[in-house]
Amino acid sequence: MTARRRVPVARRQLVAEPAKLVVTLVAVAASVSLVLLLTGLRRGMGEQVTLYLGKQPPVLVAQEGARNFLSQTSILPEALADDIERVPGVVEATPISQQYAMLRLHGRPVLALLIGYDAGKPGGPWKLASGRAPSARGELVLDRVLASEHGLDVSSTLEYRGAALRIVGLSSGTSGFMTPLAFALRTTVNDLSRQPRTASFFLVRPEPGTGAEPLAARIGQTVPGVSALTRDEFAANDRRQFIDPFSGPLFAMVSIAYAVAILVIGLAVYSSTAERSREYATLKALGLGRRALFRLVGVQAAAIALGGTVLGIVLAATAARGVSAIAPKYLIAISLGSAAAIAASALAMALVAAFVPARMLARLDPASAFRR
Amino acid sequence: MSVPLARRQLLFRKGRALAGVAGIAAALLLVLALNAIFAGINDRLTAYIDGSGADVIVAQRGVDTMHMTQSALPEQTATAVAAIPGVAGAEPILYVPAMIERGERRGIVYLIGDDSGGAPLPVATGQRPRLGEILLERTLAGRLAAPVGSRVRAFGQSFRVSGQVEGLASILNSVAFVRRQELARVLGSTGVVSYVLVRAQPQIQPKELAARIEASVPGVTASTRETFARSERRVVGDMTTDIVRAMIIVGFVIGVAVAGLVAYSATLSQLRDYAVLRTLGLRARRAVAVAVAQVGATVAAGFLLALVLAWALAALLPSLSPTLVLAIRAGDVAQAIVVAGAVTLVAAALPVLRIARVDPASVFRR
Repeated sequence: MTARRRVPVARRQLVAEPAKLVVTLVAVAASVSLVLLLTGLRRGMGEQVTLYLGKQPPVLVAQEGARNFLSQTSILPEALADDIERVPGVVEATPISQQYAMLRLHGRPVLALLIGYDAGKPGGPWKLASGRAPSARGELVLDRVLASEHGLDVSSTLEYRGAALRIVGLSSGTSGFMTPLAFALRTTVNDLSRQPRTASFFLVRPEPGTGAEPLAARIGQTVPGVSALTRDEFAANDRRQFIDPFSGPLFAMVSIAYAVAILVIGLAVYSSTAERSREYATLKALGLGRRALFRLVGVQAAAIALGGTVLGIVLAATAARGVSAIAPKYLIAISLGSAAAIAASALAMALVAAFVPARMLARLDPASAFRR
Repeated sequence: MSVPLARRQLLFRKGRALAGVAGIAAALLLVLALNAIFAGINDRLTAYIDGSGADVIVAQRGVDTMHMTQSALPEQTATAVAAIPGVAGAEPILYVPAMIERGERRGIVYLIGDDSGGAPLPVATGQRPRLGEILLERTLAGRLAAPVGSRVRAFGQSFRVSGQVEGLASILNSVAFVRRQELARVLGSTGVVSYVLVRAQPQIQPKELAARIEASVPGVTASTRETFARSERRVVGDMTTDIVRAMIIVGFVIGVAVAGLVAYSATLSQLRDYAVLRTLGLRARRAVAVAVAQVGATVAAGFLLALVLAWALAALLPSLSPTLVLAIRAGDVAQAIVVAGAVTLVAAALPVLRIARVDPASVFRR
């Protein structure tokens, strides 16, 4: 009994055909990395859509009814800044005019988020890679990645809504899928929209020690016709707005990937069990119990699941790094949590995959070892 | 020669063959379903334009899309366009993204302010909106639990739901209609419109009319409905191209791995059979052809299953989630066929190499 235990049957069976093992591991790894990349892309999108908000003061004021920073119209008179600044706890209310800009670059529509801000005030680019900030009408700072993708540089000119905008600077840390940032003076943006002396949002800087939530509530109660929310509320609503629509399709894709992984593990273990049915029958005839046989199958399934998962995590991390180098506008944010979750689910995959081969072993007749 | 060798070997272990077909189907379904989802979004994206009755759409210069787009024209543009020979009608509209609320329920829409209450799009329930009223897309109305006669809020104003339109919502957005003068007042942007929808007289081609409008009215871009819709589709198409490509690569890798695994396992278990056949005179080339035929048959069956599943999803999903529309296009099916062909070629490589090395004499060894 002791001697039998020392024979590493599961390992030997697994590595008997190295090429097959490699193909199996690659298939499981591809499925696992697909799950990680999809969930990472979803998370990355969430981080990217709040890229601008993350750099702004803790309270924002918009037109009444506004709940989102993106994908929603908000138009307020710029003179409202005085009313907001009169609210106790407010140090400064800075107007910005924000809108999606469907730029036409290389004859194709390219989406950017255009921010109009007042020179020397908050709301503008926080880091310039080259050039300078806009100081006159018609001047633009464009995200560095977007500019390089389209061969644009400082002093290039691009046409937008009938106006010629001259690039005077390139910003860094402002890239994002669907939301690369562009900055101009607020007067430029208002001219394009034919809405002079207006702002879409006010960025509110509170006095030290003033909480964002109570301040937002106070502004909402004091200033009529506005919607004052904390930056975090706007960010959460934007994330929900952008990510929720993709949850259904994403769930379907992830489910398919999991199903493929289970199928592949099951297929590998099943075919190896079927091919070795005579060996298993011999082991059974020699007295190896059912439980030990199930363990043999389970260990093989678990080894493939865990090996494939580890390889999948490495593949996904490498792919995410490659994507950020080749196409920096995509952010694939693979969290430790999701990697841990998929590693844990590998065990579940192994259990499900081992089910059919285990059933086959249970029905295996030991006498079949002696038949030809 | 008449022995169906490939089929017999393939079906020797039916469970393995079925699992292989299912795995390949799942991999190809990834490619087909993703393409179908984006195609469905594209179809809904242009549903308003397609049904608006406009032959030409006039926008601010350089603008030829509506989705996530800003366009601002002086209100007089509509009058100027209406006076151009060949124009049967010019309707100005305001087009802004907005949040519609009913209690704690919310939804983002493209809010269209026009003078016709959404005509000529058919109203499914209720009637066209008058002042103080709003016409909602049916899916959003359902999500907000806002039947005809109930009230919703937008930009801090209360609107009575006058009716519902349908077929305009996708997973990304919905559409609602109010009266233009009311929307202009709420936005504080009187004297400005977003687009002018132009109907052409029967004797003039839309393309010719668009050129005539651009030549007559400064600061505008006039596009035919077809050109405008194509441009709209390109917005989503361009944004999703990379994601679709990535999914094709992943689908390809999974497909190759599954097909390769099935074919290789089958080949391994049949190596002795191949050796016997070789001693009986089967040429190496013919043996390789048998292996490739097995992989090809598995992949072809997987592809057909994926296609059936994609059709089933396209038929079932809208009843579960009305905004999730899957559109299966011939081009996307052709793309999946190309992926399947590539899967066959690569997946067959392993067993082919193994079979090519089979020594006929090995059958006599134990």
